[in-house]
Amino acid sequence: MTRGWGIKLVTYLGAILLTMFILAPLAWIFLSSILPEASILLFPPDWFQYGLIYDNYNYIFTGQVPQTPLVTGALRTMISQEVRLVPRAILNSFIVAFAVMLVNFLVGSLAAYPFARLRFAAKTPIFFLITMSRLIPTVALAIPYYLIVQKLGLIDTHWALITIYSVLTLPFTILILTLYFRGIPKEIEEAAQLDGCDPFQTLVRIVVPLALPSLIGTGLFAFMLSYSEFLFGLLITQSIKTRTLPVILATVSWNPDVTWGLTSASIAIGLIPTLILVVPVWRFMVKGLVAGGVY
Amino acid sequence: MVARERLRRLTRSIRFSAYWMIAPAVLLVVAFTLYPYIYAIWSSIRVTSPLLPPAFAGLKNYEAVITSIYFLRSVKRTLIFTAASVPITVLLGLLTASLLNRRFIGDIALRALVLLPWAIPISISGVIWRGFFNGGWGALNALLYMAGIIPKYIGWLTTPNLATLVVITVQVWTQFPFATVLILAAMQAIPEELYEAAAIDGAGLLQRFFYVTLPSIRAMLAIVIIFEVLMGLTAFDLTYALTGGGPGTATTLISYFTYAESFKMLNFGNGAALAVILAAVSLIMILAILQLIPKGALIGGEEG
Repeated sequence: MTRGWGIKLVTYLGAILLTMFILAPLAWIFLSSILPEASILLFPPDWFQYGLIYDNYNYIFTGQVPQTPLVTGALRTMISQEVRLVPRAILNSFIVAFAVMLVNFLVGSLAAYPFARLRFAAKTPIFFLITMSRLIPTVALAIPYYLIVQKLGLIDTHWALITIYSVLTLPFTILILTLYFRGIPKEIEEAAQLDGCDPFQTLVRIVVPLALPSLIGTGLFAFMLSYSEFLFGLLITQSIKTRTLPVILATVSWNPDVTWGLTSASIAIGLIPTLILVVPVWRFMVKGLVAGGVY
Repeated sequence: MVARERLRRLTRSIRFSAYWMIAPAVLLVVAFTLYPYIYAIWSSIRVTSPLLPPAFAGLKNYEAVITSIYFLRSVKRTLIFTAASVPITVLLGLLTASLLNRRFIGDIALRALVLLPWAIPISISGVIWRGFFNGGWGALNALLYMAGIIPKYIGWLTTPNLATLVVITVQVWTQFPFATVLILAAMQAIPEELYEAAAIDGAGLLQRFFYVTLPSIRAMLAIVIIFEVLMGLTAFDLTYALTGGGPGTATTLISYFTYAESFKMLNFGNGAALAVILAAVSLIMILAILQLIPKGALIGGEEG
């Protein structure tokens, strides 16, 4: 039985190493968000010298400036207002990502059904045009997008972001939904057609209810991508009216007035929505992929 | 006769349905992919500096870009970055998928945990790791020092070669979860009988991996590799947030270079030329993907 033991040992060792690799930076974020700045900057390192604090979180939500010198740090007495924009930025990201999700539900399922079931001219080229369009690197599209948005007068609006993110997420949604719709037994739809349903009615009454898990999965996936997007958020938004979370966090992190503890606290807050969503997204995604017969 | 006429009308109405149903998606994609792309090509052959009047530039922008030493350096860096991060990402994904494909105590918790790096926006991952690797007070320095491994702190992000290693490490951290899940999905689709047959033939664990698992997931591996190559060639958020392209230009990859050329130097013409080059390289990769994916797998010929 020594062989079995060896395998077990390797398995658990691998699991432990993997856990450490994944969690190390996140643990540091969480820890430094509740450490006084003075402890973080201490050399030789002694993180728990001055105990734990929650002033950073308090400042972000209430605006109450930390008073103790331990928190603000010896060198950095200034504190930036920018961090207080984080909750608003979460809201902005949420609005945009939610709207993109709705567009994906609507436009995505409408387009996927014909690709899955109907016969029409130039079907394959159009399908490839749509699904492959996403593979062009976004930096290549940055200048034209910026100029188009500028010409339309949509700089610094949610609309611009919603449109761009919809374009970026739709190809994937359409690909997955097409695969999923094709996996639904045809007989059910044929029955509906015999009852006089046209394709649109069949989609709404039969296919969408059956494909609900996959629809939710792709919708949430689009939500996550929009919530995470950085480059266009950086280019299109100019004020806190529309600035999204990744953009605010990146600028906060480069701001010399913001202590690392405060940056950590804002990151920890910003990650909460993503962490809540990750498990359902993944469950639905994997289900959709496997059932769709990609593999 | 009447029946045939009805049938014809029915097929025509179905075809019409197909067109209006795909119209919104097609319009969006054409308006925001084809048009901007043509626009990028157009501005890449023009002078579009804020200081100069617009004029035709021919291939001068391309010439200026390709002969620039900064361009060549960023290309070289991008190639090194991609060549290093892709194999590590795929290998780690393969190992992690093999691990998660086994039953052990805490396996479900680990499955959820593996998703974490994927779920975090890459730009934020960059910030998180910047704090972890910080040369003055970062956790890694502190931990290594406390363990007595290093006598004094190391400037992970301020030493060019180390910064390159850090960027590769973080790229792997952000990318391997996706690779893992795709590979795991492929592994779980392998019929159990194959393993049983191999076991009866006396194949050990490693043999089963090399003769059953690996051949069965070959197609998925190819997809993962090419996807990761694309992610490597076009990585932008990561270096923006982690190193800002520095120290100096040590981690300025081609995407970041394109961005800086367009939006920091405000040289849209050069930026567009760079973007077109980048897109062309990526398109070649896309064609490679299409070669590898069996045609019928994506869109059914008969059913459609």
